[in-house]
Amino acid sequence: MTSGPTVEAAQGDGAGVARGAGDAEIPKPLFSRPAGKILVIWLIFTAIGIVLALVVPKHTFPPMLTKEGDTGVTTVIFFTIMAAPVAALVYGIAAYSLLAWRQRGQRDEPPEDGPPLRGNAPVTIVWLCVTSLLCIVLLVWGLAAMAADNQAPPGALRVDVTGQQWLWTFSYPGTGVSSRSLVLPLNRPVQFDVTSNDVTHGFWSMSLGVQVDANPDVVTTIYATPNKLGKFTVQCSQLCGLYHSFMYAPGAVVRPGAFALWLYANGASLRAASLDAKVKMTRADTATGQVTAAVGATPAGS
Amino acid sequence: MTTTATPLLEDTPLGPEAGGLYRHQNIVTGMVAGIVLAFVGWLISHALLQGSNWGTDMVVTVTMTCWVIGFNAGIGTFNGPFRWLTDNDQTPEDELYAAGVGQGAKRYWKFCTDHKVVGTQYLVLVMVLFAVGGTLGMMIRTQLITPHSSFMTPQLYNTVVTVHGMTMIAATIIMVTGPFTNFIMPIMIGAKDMAFPRLNAASFWVVFSAVPCLLAVFFLGGVNAGWTTYAPLSVQDPPAMDTFALTILVFAASVTLAGVNIIVTIVTMRAEGMTMFRLPIFTWGSMLGSALGLYAMPAFIMAMVLMITDRATGTSFYVAAQGGTGWLWENIFWIMGHPEVYVILIPPVAAMLEVVVTFSRKPLFGYVIVIAAFVAIDALSILVWAHHMFTTGWAPDLSGPFMLTTELISIPTGLLFLCIIGTLWKGKIWTRLPMFFVYLFLWNFIIGGVTGIYLSDVPADGLFHNDMFVTAHFHYTLMGGAMMAATAALCYWFPKMTGKMLNERIGKVAFWIIAVAFQVTYLGMFWEGFEGMPRRVAYYDPTFLHANQMATVGAYALILGWLLLLYDIIHSWRNGTPAPANPWGAKTLEWKVPTPVPLENFVVEPVVTSDPYTYGEPEKVPSAKPAPEPELIPGGGGGGGA
Amino acid sequence: MTLTAEHGHEEPAGGEPPHGHHQSPAQRHRKEHLALWLFIGGDVVFVALMIFTWFYTRALNTNGMWRGANCTTANPCTDGLGNPLTHQVPTANPWYGVVVAVLIVVAALLAWSAERSSRERAGRGTIVTSTTCALVALLAAVVVQCYEFGALPFTTIVGTYASAYEFFMGSALTHALLLSFLALGFLIRSRAGRYDDGQWYQLRLYRIFAVWIAVSICVLTFISTVFT
Repeated sequence: MTSGPTVEAAQGDGAGVARGAGDAEIPKPLFSRPAGKILVIWLIFTAIGIVLALVVPKHTFPPMLTKEGDTGVTTVIFFTIMAAPVAALVYGIAAYSLLAWRQRGQRDEPPEDGPPLRGNAPVTIVWLCVTSLLCIVLLVWGLAAMAADNQAPPGALRVDVTGQQWLWTFSYPGTGVSSRSLVLPLNRPVQFDVTSNDVTHGFWSMSLGVQVDANPDVVTTIYATPNKLGKFTVQCSQLCGLYHSFMYAPGAVVRPGAFALWLYANGASLRAASLDAKVKMTRADTATGQVTAAVGATPAGS
Repeated sequence: MTTTATPLLEDTPLGPEAGGLYRHQNIVTGMVAGIVLAFVGWLISHALLQGSNWGTDMVVTVTMTCWVIGFNAGIGTFNGPFRWLTDNDQTPEDELYAAGVGQGAKRYWKFCTDHKVVGTQYLVLVMVLFAVGGTLGMMIRTQLITPHSSFMTPQLYNTVVTVHGMTMIAATIIMVTGPFTNFIMPIMIGAKDMAFPRLNAASFWVVFSAVPCLLAVFFLGGVNAGWTTYAPLSVQDPPAMDTFALTILVFAASVTLAGVNIIVTIVTMRAEGMTMFRLPIFTWGSMLGSALGLYAMPAFIMAMVLMITDRATGTSFYVAAQGGTGWLWENIFWIMGHPEVYVILIPPVAAMLEVVVTFSRKPLFGYVIVIAAFVAIDALSILVWAHHMFTTGWAPDLSGPFMLTTELISIPTGLLFLCIIGTLWKGKIWTRLPMFFVYLFLWNFIIGGVTGIYLSDVPADGLFHNDMFVTAHFHYTLMGGAMMAATAALCYWFPKMTGKMLNERIGKVAFWIIAVAFQVTYLGMFWEGFEGMPRRVAYYDPTFLHANQMATVGAYALILGWLLLLYDIIHSWRNGTPAPANPWGAKTLEWKVPTPVPLENFVVEPVVTSDPYTYGEPEKVPSAKPAPEPELIPGGGGGGGA
Repeated sequence: MTLTAEHGHEEPAGGEPPHGHHQSPAQRHRKEHLALWLFIGGDVVFVALMIFTWFYTRALNTNGMWRGANCTTANPCTDGLGNPLTHQVPTANPWYGVVVAVLIVVAALLAWSAERSSRERAGRGTIVTSTTCALVALLAAVVVQCYEFGALPFTTIVGTYASAYEFFMGSALTHALLLSFLALGFLIRSRAGRYDDGQWYQLRLYRIFAVWIAVSICVLTFISTVFT
């Protein structure tokens, strides 16, 4: 005798009816049926999950400074909210099984047998459809986010990132600037071209929402658009030897004027710094530390 | 290790000593032969090769290979092939001796072909591996209790991280197929032993011989590259990397051979009436897990062979300057590495399903669905490997397809959950110790599985890859999920394997410590990950201090819980209440044979008339074939029927 | 068929249950046949990865160093030891590989011949001749392959083509040694008359395995000769 899904009467979402004294079927109130009680537990777990989704990332993640970082955090929140009802269902039924079906006082002898429920085709099909639908939703979300992240708009700022045991060097082509800090201007798409001088390192900043490996003798590329001012840390994420723990670099997102000044202070010419930062910086500006004239798409009053 | 009220066949003396040298082989002769051959190998290779390019690597590789060959020659692994070669096949007396007849407890220290002995040997080895790996894990957490601890040097820390990872991976791969598939599965299918008993014993001793190779890592300079030993860093590592690579070659070979044995046994050695769809689900899980291992282990071997040739003979597979690429390593490694986690997961989940059935007193819900889910997981897991490489930059255009296949795996995995809760549904839940671990699995694996879905999404993976979030995720799935399922299996089959009942009072205390401490430890680790702490670091930014303290405190409590459980296991094994043949009232065939299980398991070969999930179903009409005399097989009838 | 008749094992080592007499020969054969195909399955994965390695590193051509395409006198590359290279790595002489492949195909055909002789009860002499010639062919393949290692126009440190080519050679050598071990065993056993009376089953296992090795070596030789 093979086992296959058999449809069993009065199961699935629980015995929803009570037999009264006569033949009439009196529906039991919702919350005294197994389905009702499980619904309550399910609601509680789902609510906890949603609250955790909305609260925990915001309070534990470092501040996100780019569009890509925002996408990552939103994805985490969205996925948690999507997953909460599924987890809650499993937890709910498991918890209910202990509340309602546990054989109390049973010590040494096995209890009597339960009902021979070998399967339930409708439940299985519904479960399969719902999980597949969830999967498709998550997939579509992910593909959309990925497509948005992988853009290389023209006019992006180029930064060459070089990893080596055990430090990072950031250079800005066209300006001759090479620095151990990563400074980026606000609201300007950046293209990072990453490579390594020795072993594989990981160019990673959670705040920037970027991560790509630095491999020897190849260049890998990743994009980000900073949309908030702030400080961040670049950390090596790929174990690279003895002092991997120390392979981090400071970084900041600053206004374009400040960015131009920084480039100039690190050895760029006035012209190169202005071009790279898309501002018009004058020698007088370098003395005052304030760039007043802006060019193109940068916000006024940089 | 056995309790005997009546003398067992395996304890009766065999007769006058005959059969020659090989009857004196045991673990001592193995170690002696291994050390001697290793020394000879070292002498010769050192004289010939030291001073040449890559000489040290070649010497280390040759020496450790000689250890493995010597040990296995000394304990008797090669006797079978050698006797075949020289047309001197084993006599029936030889085979009886090889099965441990007449040797009492000594047979546990020898090359013994009795699958129950091999299963017990694996059980002890797995516990030793977990003890070693657990100690290394505690060293890691101790280092991380403050941001700049001086507990370990960076080199030692990186090595501890590497060996902790590899030890745990090895232990979790064999933790169910080693002890339980070997001991229980042949009885479950009505067979007298595995298909290839000599190969079975060989698989065990080959794994055993790999353990000193792994521990030698600490004495040869250490490995800096984590258990995933990414190239090119690992190509540059000290000679410890050569012995590490050899460990994996040997281990993967053993797992491959064991996998062949398991599949052939299940396909060809079932008792009469035991059709494939009457098999207990544990059998299916063992078979499908092993089948996946057959795909994954050759990849592991390939990756490590190329590593050894890069290090010891100057090839350039992984060295970019000479045309190689670290991406080749990463691809081959993850072609192994992702199926490997399902090799780890499927057998324990299948074992756990037997526990759920027995302690809910209901048939398995969706038996065919579970099998289909296992098959789907096997097939899909072959297609997902590059989700470990989303951030490597190797093929950005392939990220989408790999994200698709990875997210698809959640569908069959979800079906497994359906079948578990379907089995619980309206059951008569008997909350004995094995069932405790089942509920803990449910709690933990949901968290582990869901967090895996974040990692399957490319933008979120960019946030979390190589962050402590990943570490927390796989500890939730591998320890919180697979290992808890395996512990449920251990508590379940303990009476059959040891003849004793596990003390449940102590066990439940240990359970609660483990359950709570696990959450503290690994939720703390998720916190570390959310805050942005990278993995595999010995020193960290003080921002992460509180999360690390939480994880370390949890870890200390967790190890205490495991130690208490270990104490319970050892204490019960030695002094526990003798166990009846079927303390759980279960219906699979292993519970129909007496405890301790006699050599060859069944006095009369059973005839099976139904699957073992007939809880709540009316008694079947007896089949036409006569059932065996009840007194020959105390404890139940001859079939799997109700 | 007596109780002490062949206990078939292929690599990996097979075995009998402790009281082997309860299993019929047909059951034993079925076990060993399945085990062989599973093992071949694992080897298929290994060979597939070898092919992947070849084509992947060739396509990536990191640093132009698949065969050192970018190395010139003006712009020399260095081998791993700092010695400058100014030329492309020459391709290996394909004839060695072809000879080895042919010898292994011959050995597989001889295995098939031995199996047929046993099945048709053609007499011990025929079987022994086939197994002996198979052993000779395999040992010749081992010798030729070893010789080729010394006769290569490159060393492995010069680019990934050289590395992959030598790896393919090492794989062929290993498989030839494995088959030689089996051939020697079959030679000894056939001389003792194990396969005289139609007990051809083990020879069949050997034939299947030898054919697989021959096929895989032909494929790998083709790839390493054509896609340089």
